[in-house]
Amino acid sequence: MARSVLIVDDHAGFRAQARELLAVAGYDVVGEAADGASGVRVARDLSPDIVLLDVQLPDVTGFEVIRQIASEPDPPAIVLISSRDAADYGSRVARSGARGFITKAELSAPALAAVLGDAGC
Amino acid sequence: MLTTRRCWLALFFAAALCWIIGGEWVSIHAGVPENHFIDSLGGLSFAIAGVIAADRRPGNALGPLMFGYVFLSYLGNWGNLRVPGLPVIGLMGGQLTGAVLAHIALAYPSGRLQTRGRRWVVGVIYATGSGVCLTLLLTFDPRASGCPCVAEPAPFPSRSGAMTALLVGQRSGIVLVPLFLAAIWLRWMRATPAERRDLMPLWLAVFLLAVVYLLSGFASPDTTGDPFAYLIWELQAILTVGIPAVFVWGLLSTRLARSAVGDLVMDLKRPLGSGELRALLARTLGDPSLGLFFAVDGHDMATGHDIWVDAHGRWVSLPESGTGRQARTATIVEREGRPLAALVHDKALDSGLVRAVAAAAAMRLENERLHADLRAQLDEVRASRQRIVEAGDRERRRVERNLHDGAQQRLVTLVLSLAMLRDRAAADPELVRSLDQSTAELKQAIAELRELARGIHPAILTEEGLPAAVEALADRSSVPVRVQANFDGRLAEPVEAVAYFVVAESIANIIKYSRACAARVELSRSNGMLLLEVADDGVGGADVSAGSGLRGLADRVAAVRGMFGVDSPPGGGTLVRAEIPCDG
Repeated sequence: MARSVLIVDDHAGFRAQARELLAVAGYDVVGEAADGASGVRVARDLSPDIVLLDVQLPDVTGFEVIRQIASEPDPPAIVLISSRDAADYGSRVARSGARGFITKAELSAPALAAVLGDAGC
Repeated sequence: MLTTRRCWLALFFAAALCWIIGGEWVSIHAGVPENHFIDSLGGLSFAIAGVIAADRRPGNALGPLMFGYVFLSYLGNWGNLRVPGLPVIGLMGGQLTGAVLAHIALAYPSGRLQTRGRRWVVGVIYATGSGVCLTLLLTFDPRASGCPCVAEPAPFPSRSGAMTALLVGQRSGIVLVPLFLAAIWLRWMRATPAERRDLMPLWLAVFLLAVVYLLSGFASPDTTGDPFAYLIWELQAILTVGIPAVFVWGLLSTRLARSAVGDLVMDLKRPLGSGELRALLARTLGDPSLGLFFAVDGHDMATGHDIWVDAHGRWVSLPESGTGRQARTATIVEREGRPLAALVHDKALDSGLVRAVAAAAAMRLENERLHADLRAQLDEVRASRQRIVEAGDRERRRVERNLHDGAQQRLVTLVLSLAMLRDRAAADPELVRSLDQSTAELKQAIAELRELARGIHPAILTEEGLPAAVEALADRSSVPVRVQANFDGRLAEPVEAVAYFVVAESIANIIKYSRACAARVELSRSNGMLLLEVADDGVGGADVSAGSGLRGLADRVAAVRGMFGVDSPPGGGTLVRAEIPCDG
């Protein structure tokens, strides 16, 4: 069964490309959100397996979204994405509780699987 | 004009002298049992004080009031002349002297009854005295006492009525004196320190006199028959001598203070240290809390008012003129029609003395004003430089954010598009190779753009603060850099930005020029300062004046009021050190 994914990113163009890329790779993209508040709400409603979460959102940071989602029962695996390097966020990425971090330009099904520790989807 | 006024004063004084001597002569011949020497001394002292007051304070009511007191107090003596009408007028005069004394005491030193309460108290005392006078005028018949000196009898002659009026006049002190003392007490409570200094001697004498008046309320109205009443009468006379004496002392003390202006002129000839001018002026004026401020060139853009600064060049607002114990007022010192300085002082200070002091110190005030103006301009230059640096930092953050949200996002989307195209073109190896090459180029461009954005303003500095941002710099450095920080909290954005760029530029220099094997960065906070050291074991020889990099760092650090230094002996490594205020 395909793993469900929620994409939270304020750039519609990126969301569209990521949705297509993941769908081709066999993921089931069940929802999208353009900001942190709706990201938390949709994650709660849809209970996806994976949340692809941008660090910089218009309302709150991805770190804050992780904190809110992680407090839910049976939280999804969260993968942080950003056009910046992980190094640009210092130790916050490691402390955030995210499963991993992928630079947006490097986003691909293998990269996602590697971060999640999957052999494939 | 001055001569005419003094001639009139001399004439008044001569008339008062005749009035006193004549009055005493009448009393002596009438055999009135009183101390004529003390009485005449009292009258004389009031006359002298009246002349001095009228001379020193023209337009002030105190001089005429003093003469009025002399006139009224001797009406009683002249009443012994047994001329038709005079005995009753003499008795009436005695009823109003207390009111005049209360008026003088409550109006001192301005000559005006400045509050409604004081006017009310003095009005009640005058009204009581006037009521007694009117009753005497209507009822007193000297013939009933065996005096054949009245042409026409009183309209309603009544010995008991007249005696009752006299008794009321005397006993009313039991109520009026506490009322007067309450007014004195209220004024004392509201007086500024300088006012208290001026009022103390006069009010002490007046207080004693008021107590004696209060006692007189319990004595018989007949001072000739009752020894206690006679004692009170004489005590009043003795104390009455003292009041004009302290009044004259008060007036002359202003003159003594003005003589201190001469000492001030001598003191101003020697070099003065910081703040010494204010201390000198404060001592001369007798106001330790004196404030000294200076007008600098230009006007407040918002209000159009003059700009005032203290001796350190800091902007200040002059106080509004107020009332009460802490009341301060500002005397503006001008030169050629232009405000030069402002003396903010106790409102009760003699304005003439303040102007005299200001005039004596005008040259020094001009010098101090120039210094204060210079300090104010320097402060403004420093502040504007800091604002420019802060604005630059804000702009850097904005540009970095725009790069992140704009170009980087579009390029990232393009990379993902190419990746999908590649998947679809798997059957065409040539196209796949071409797409791989384009993707690699694009990723390289994104990496370079990311590096450029990081150089403009590192996101980690905004996100994590200085120590983490410096750690990230060290991680990317090709020369091993050891970072040590004794704090992990956040600092003000301008401080973090300046410190970060000092470290970033220093590490960049180490990589480019130092040929160092290792470097260290130390960050510490101590006594409100951020101390920052970047040291390497390279070839040294760095010169702040040689290039724009270190010079720029020195300027940035100075813009946030910090200190910057470079120690780089040839062959001895380089130590870059900065101290930046980081509290408040």
